[in-house]
Amino acid sequence: MTIEVTVPSLLADCTGGRRQFPLVAATLADALQRLLEEYPRLRPHLYDEALQLRRHVLIFYNDDNLATIPDRNVPLRAGDRLLVLQAVSGG
Amino acid sequence: MPPVPNDASKLVLLIGTVKGAFFYHTDADRQQWKLTGPHLAGWEVYSLCGDSRNGRIIAGTCSYTYGATLRTTRDLGATWEEVDRGPAYTAESGFKLNRIWQISPGHASQPGTWYAGVEEAGLFVSRDDGRTWAELDGLTRHPTRPQWFPGNGGMCLHTILVDPGNPQRLWVAASAIGVFRSDDGGLSWKTCNRNLPSVPTGLPAETEVSRCVHKMVLDPHRPGVLYQQFHGGVFKSEDAGESWQSIADGLPSNFGFPMTVTANGDLFIVPLQSDEQRFVPDGALKIYRSRDRGRTWRALAKGLPRQPHFVGVLRDAMAADPLDPAGVYFGTTMGEVYYSADAGENWHRLPGQFPRITTIKAWLT
Repeated sequence: MTIEVTVPSLLADCTGGRRQFPLVAATLADALQRLLEEYPRLRPHLYDEALQLRRHVLIFYNDDNLATIPDRNVPLRAGDRLLVLQAVSGG
Repeated sequence: MPPVPNDASKLVLLIGTVKGAFFYHTDADRQQWKLTGPHLAGWEVYSLCGDSRNGRIIAGTCSYTYGATLRTTRDLGATWEEVDRGPAYTAESGFKLNRIWQISPGHASQPGTWYAGVEEAGLFVSRDDGRTWAELDGLTRHPTRPQWFPGNGGMCLHTILVDPGNPQRLWVAASAIGVFRSDDGGLSWKTCNRNLPSVPTGLPAETEVSRCVHKMVLDPHRPGVLYQQFHGGVFKSEDAGESWQSIADGLPSNFGFPMTVTANGDLFIVPLQSDEQRFVPDGALKIYRSRDRGRTWRALAKGLPRQPHFVGVLRDAMAADPLDPAGVYFGTTMGEVYYSADAGENWHRLPGQFPRITTIKAWLT
């Protein structure tokens, strides 16, 4: 299944200069893994030294915060979106 | 190190800010300037280095959200590439890489060697021209590490100096920790803080660290002579950092951040009112220069603003070029860039107002 990924403009140089791009994956877990395999330069920006998602990075699967999705073996469907966001930080 | 004759060479003034980088291009006359940027817009750029060995610029970029990495450009900022295996602490270290504060080339005899100083304080080395980096963990394994304490700007390793006469000898300085020296290429380190006053970190005064050095430079002509702007004073060492003596007589305050040295050995600093009032004394922007290795200081202000100007200059936001007479450059916390093409006698402001300026380097390409 091909889904659409969106990343912040600050990270576009890690994804070939694109903010939006397609990604082929079978499940949500698969998509997260493939995202970092295809664009390894994203990894240090999204995950910290302890391999935890950085505190102010949010990843949304469609309208849901990834942190609220306990089972990531969700089969992907046409039109699904993966969105990397900066949490509101500061004023 | 002799000055470079003014007969060729292009000069690029590399300006890092909290929201990207800007480059001013000129030639050895330093009369006509052309601005490019913003480069890396949106990123905090805490370190920049012009790499004359490979014709590229290396930038230390970071963001509160997305962490810190190195980026390079080979076309003066038109395109950038992230370094894939840049400085990074291991999960086991327990340390976080928040910013990259300094990027420095290795000794002239080691053309593939580069160093990076980071926050939380640590030192990284590349032996393959910046493609891959590894921590020199002899520093973070130093017995004093549990006593290291961050300054207001974070626990930053901001100064890296390589002895021109001995590639095995390095000095680093970190806030609010102090000076360390290695005589084995960075494998092991000793503190070099004797006679430097401790700053209040809650640790006993007799601790080896808790010394808040703000910037340190090497004398270009006298081996083993160093100078530093300290949190409370200006100091000189004539024994490779083993001990320090005050050279603050004649200065209006004992607080400031940047220090730079020209190829002729002229020292430049920017005294600030105090650690609580981090702007220039009385709102009078003045640069202080010593031409006798810190014995006497002279205030320089010709061409600088005459109206009240309550700005500061950050620790890495002043630099000298290697030309003769030397060019001296500084950027303020209000985003102004000033330069002198005659070793500080006359100052000029470059057009433009930028975000808060974190670093300035003069790169002779």
